[in-house]
Amino acid sequence: MKAPRRNGSEKPKNENLKKSLEKLKANNIEEIVKRIEDAEETVVGSSEDSPFYPSSEEYDDDESLSKDDGSIIESGSQQSDLSEDEDSVHSRDDDDESSGSDDDNPSGGNDHGSGDSVSEDEGNDNRHAEDNLGESDDSREIVEESDSSEDEVTPRNTIGDVPLEWYKDEEHIGYDRAGKKIKKKERQSKLDSFLASVDDSKNWRKIYDDYNDEEVELTKEETKLIRRLLKGKAPHADFDPYAPYVDWFDWDGAKHPLSNAPEPKRRFIPSKWESKTVLRYVRAIRKGLIKFDDKPKEEPKFYALWDDSTSAERQGLAYIPAPKPKLPGHEESYNPSPEYIPTQEEINSYQLMFEEDQPKFIPKQFNSLRSVPSYDKAVQETFDRCLDLYLCPRVRKKRINIDPESLKPKLPSRKDLKPYPTTCYLEYKGHTGPIMSISTDPTGQWIASGSADGTVRIWEVETGRCLRVWDIGETIAEVAWNPLPELPILALAAGEDVFILNTKVGSGEQEEKIDELLNVDHQVATVESDTSASIVSWGHYDKHGGIRLKHFKKVTKVEWHRKGDYLSTLISVLIHQLSKRLTQRVPFKTKGIPVSIAFHPTRSIFFTATKKVVRVYDLLKQKLIKKLDAGVREISSIAIHPGGDNAIVGSTDGKLCWFDMDLSTRPYKVLRCHPKDITRVAYHRSYPLFASCSDDCTSYVFHGMVYSDMNQNPLIVPLEILRGHATAGGRGVLDCKFHPRQPWLFTAGADSLIKLYCH
Amino acid sequence: MDIDGGIGAAEESSRQMQVRFVTKLKPPYKVPPNSIAIPSNLTRFGLSVLVNNLLQADNEDWKTEPFDFLIDGELVRMSLEEFLLAKGISAEKVLEIEYIKAVAPRKEEEPSLHDDWVSAVDGSSDRFILTGCYDGFGRIWRNPGNCTHILDGHSGPVTSVCFFKPKVENVDDQIVATASKDRTLRLWKIGAEQSLDQPKRISAFKILRGHTAAVQSIAAQPSGDMVCSGSWDCTISLYNINASDSEGDIVSVKKRRKDGEDREFQSEGEALSTLVGHTQCVSSVVWPQHETIYSASWDHSIRRWDVETGKNSLNMFCGKVINCLDIGGESSALIAAGGSDPILQIWDPRKPGTLSPVFQFSSHNSWISSCKWHNKSWFHLVTASYDGKVMLWDLRTAWPLAVIDTHKDKVLCADWWKDDSVISGGADSKLCISSGIPVQ
Repeated sequence: MKAPRRNGSEKPKNENLKKSLEKLKANNIEEIVKRIEDAEETVVGSSEDSPFYPSSEEYDDDESLSKDDGSIIESGSQQSDLSEDEDSVHSRDDDDESSGSDDDNPSGGNDHGSGDSVSEDEGNDNRHAEDNLGESDDSREIVEESDSSEDEVTPRNTIGDVPLEWYKDEEHIGYDRAGKKIKKKERQSKLDSFLASVDDSKNWRKIYDDYNDEEVELTKEETKLIRRLLKGKAPHADFDPYAPYVDWFDWDGAKHPLSNAPEPKRRFIPSKWESKTVLRYVRAIRKGLIKFDDKPKEEPKFYALWDDSTSAERQGLAYIPAPKPKLPGHEESYNPSPEYIPTQEEINSYQLMFEEDQPKFIPKQFNSLRSVPSYDKAVQETFDRCLDLYLCPRVRKKRINIDPESLKPKLPSRKDLKPYPTTCYLEYKGHTGPIMSISTDPTGQWIASGSADGTVRIWEVETGRCLRVWDIGETIAEVAWNPLPELPILALAAGEDVFILNTKVGSGEQEEKIDELLNVDHQVATVESDTSASIVSWGHYDKHGGIRLKHFKKVTKVEWHRKGDYLSTLISVLIHQLSKRLTQRVPFKTKGIPVSIAFHPTRSIFFTATKKVVRVYDLLKQKLIKKLDAGVREISSIAIHPGGDNAIVGSTDGKLCWFDMDLSTRPYKVLRCHPKDITRVAYHRSYPLFASCSDDCTSYVFHGMVYSDMNQNPLIVPLEILRGHATAGGRGVLDCKFHPRQPWLFTAGADSLIKLYCH
Repeated sequence: MDIDGGIGAAEESSRQMQVRFVTKLKPPYKVPPNSIAIPSNLTRFGLSVLVNNLLQADNEDWKTEPFDFLIDGELVRMSLEEFLLAKGISAEKVLEIEYIKAVAPRKEEEPSLHDDWVSAVDGSSDRFILTGCYDGFGRIWRNPGNCTHILDGHSGPVTSVCFFKPKVENVDDQIVATASKDRTLRLWKIGAEQSLDQPKRISAFKILRGHTAAVQSIAAQPSGDMVCSGSWDCTISLYNINASDSEGDIVSVKKRRKDGEDREFQSEGEALSTLVGHTQCVSSVVWPQHETIYSASWDHSIRRWDVETGKNSLNMFCGKVINCLDIGGESSALIAAGGSDPILQIWDPRKPGTLSPVFQFSSHNSWISSCKWHNKSWFHLVTASYDGKVMLWDLRTAWPLAVIDTHKDKVLCADWWKDDSVISGGADSKLCISSGIPVQ
């Protein structure tokens, strides 16, 4: 037997017992409440029975207990008993005094925890019910005897606050006061209990007390009580929660604090939570999560009144007040004392002084105020003052605070851009007139020059020795060395002729080839195209050998194509093919008078520069590609970067324009460096250098780096001014050419000198 | 000690210091080895006077001789006091001053006139001077003003000439080579001398072809078997001078038949091998050792070639055009080169990892056209420049030892001759000889 053993230890745990009972009751009460609510919702005006089906079923399901209908069916007079019963559940903890004689507990039953108990026949059931009835009567009597308060009803069962499932498998549910077993009642089958509940109209009031294994029926008062509780009111209707307060305390003579308890200890020990908070702050400070800005911002007490800075924190007036005029003194009186009045000599001496030093006011004496004339400068001064106010507001000037140095473009140092020509080491002397044009041999061994004295000379670059002189007899406008190293021939423009001469610096085989190439029959002027027939005649040049192309007008420029077979001459633009002795006009219309011409270094593109614009033509498609607008007075020369995408243009007003043809048709940079006409511009073939020479006897050398990266603009750095030429006949340096392989620059001057500038 | 009056005046206001004069010169130049006190503000001239006085004290008929003074291996070019301060040498001890004969020309010979610019000169033979000229002739000069042979044959200006070292001491058989802008090299034999008034015209016994552009420089192998040449076609060609192949013979036979009797036997030769690597004109070649050729080029590089393999074993980038190159100096290893600027630079290729020159001499005003090491001395150099000056240099001082400005125009070539003369040719068509230079 488990239960009795436990029963002994039950006593000290009366509290717990009570609680569990309350819980139990609360469950029941909840059940009741539910039912009540349901009833209220649905039953009104209908039959009493019908609404309870679901609830009773729920009851069955939840509790897994079979109801003992029979035992509950009582006469209506037992309400008070029931309430007493209920109360006895409540206050079981009280005492055992009244329990005494409840020996016979005829109730027997099934396993009441098991939900699958098989129901027995109804008759049996009824019999049990009667037993129960009797029994309950007994207990009622006892309660009434023993208890003084009406609430206290001792329970039948004395097992205490133990889980009821301990008795699940037993035949009894516990013990009564006499220590006898209380038998479980017979269980009804669910069907039976259901039918019973349907029949019984008062079934909804019944709850099953499984502690005592009995059904109790709630009285009307009890349901009312529950209702009140549900509404949150006091359980008893006669309780007035708002009864007037009666202050029973006698306040008279209460001089001491209400509590005489000593100060609690916690008032004297440091707070644990505070210290934890402090620790948290300390950690946060150490980690830097909390920062302190201890120093209050110091407001400057003083400010520089005349400071130029226009910072916002500067205080003070936004304008500068006008200086206060001097207060009038005695001398300005109409009748000053005689010592203020200057003598005539002093007045005369004022005349000798500078106007600024003269006193503004000369005191004069008048007999009366009436005789004082009006102020003669009044109108003038008012007008001036108005002008001042109008034109010169006395407001502090806002200056932009920018270092002028920072506005300069950042250019790399010249030292990093070496090598570039700096010093003249070699001079080529021999010409007697201004040297109009020079041209270098593609190998860099020779240089040719054409002069106004009618001669063309070939020089050895290395030593400055004149190798060959041709006397043409007419001013040489241009010399151009064939760009092919294996074809050392020279084209030169003199007067109305273009000559192509053999320089005879090639090797034997080359010489033969050249001779063959330059051999033209005397009288035959080849006429291939109708248009060219009238303008150019090809012929043999008797004086020095070679070819003579006779034009109808003065030829100013000669330019070779990179393949060395075509050359272009300039009056109107003509292109000659050397191997076929063919001349043709440029197949497109050129507007304006061309000043200079150039072939694209890699593609079949042709540049012509008129005085205002540079036109770029595609020779294959025979159309205009681009028009470069330099925006200068008059273009004098053009040079194409070896990469082909950039060009420089020199003008007669001393401006040098760099065009990035991918970028724009306007100049990328305009360099205004020469005071006089730029006569020639030149690019170096391999080094990032370009140069310009001018009539002011100087040549400028620039670093002109073109990057293969399309996003990067060309870098242009002025490097060196090359001086040395003397002016002759108002002209300075007439031509400049770079050495094809070295960073050297040749300049040809009007002083009949060629100079070589080396790095 | 008794010091001459010229120095005596300066002596009073300056401090005295103890010196001892030493020399490696032969006995008549030796001074007594005891130390003497001299004023510390003496310059080189004062020291020279002092030594001359000392020598005169021993030797009555002493002829005054200029001396140069070395302290710790450096030539004194300022007053003693300044020199010691600059070098941080203590004046407390007895200072040892070594004196040598001043290296400066004592005598200017009569210039030997040419018909055109003198472009090349070689003085490596003691008997002759060989010059090349822009008129296309090479000339052999026995002594100043006395031209014995004219080498007739080039159709362009001669750019470079060289002597071959005779294999045997056969005086009669001297071979010379000339290079010209007509793209050929010619070899000539100079026979026994004739004491004629008129120079003898000789023609080349062999024509070496192969270059496609002007030959700029020529150098003979020290053993005298081969010759190499640098050219404007960016290559260096090696030729064998002795082996005459059959093809050459055929050509020569043809020529002889055509030209008649007065032509001597003339053969042609092709290049034995070609050293390719330079990208621009090879302006100068030197063949100092049997297996090594040095070359300088306008592509700003100086290269060393191994003759056997034809490989390039050293490539120095100098940053400027090099016109002239010579190997010499200390154990014949230093490279001296001048080019398109007035600075003569000397590199030591044995120094690992550095391409910075060990010496730089920059007293010229224009391009340096020629530089030559002295044959015997490790220190002495001669340079010629387009500014018309020939300068003598000593590695032990940064100042030129002597400046010879007898030329009126660009000096194109210069060389040492007979160890004590400097010969130079220039654009004024003169061959100038400055003799009496005592390089020991």
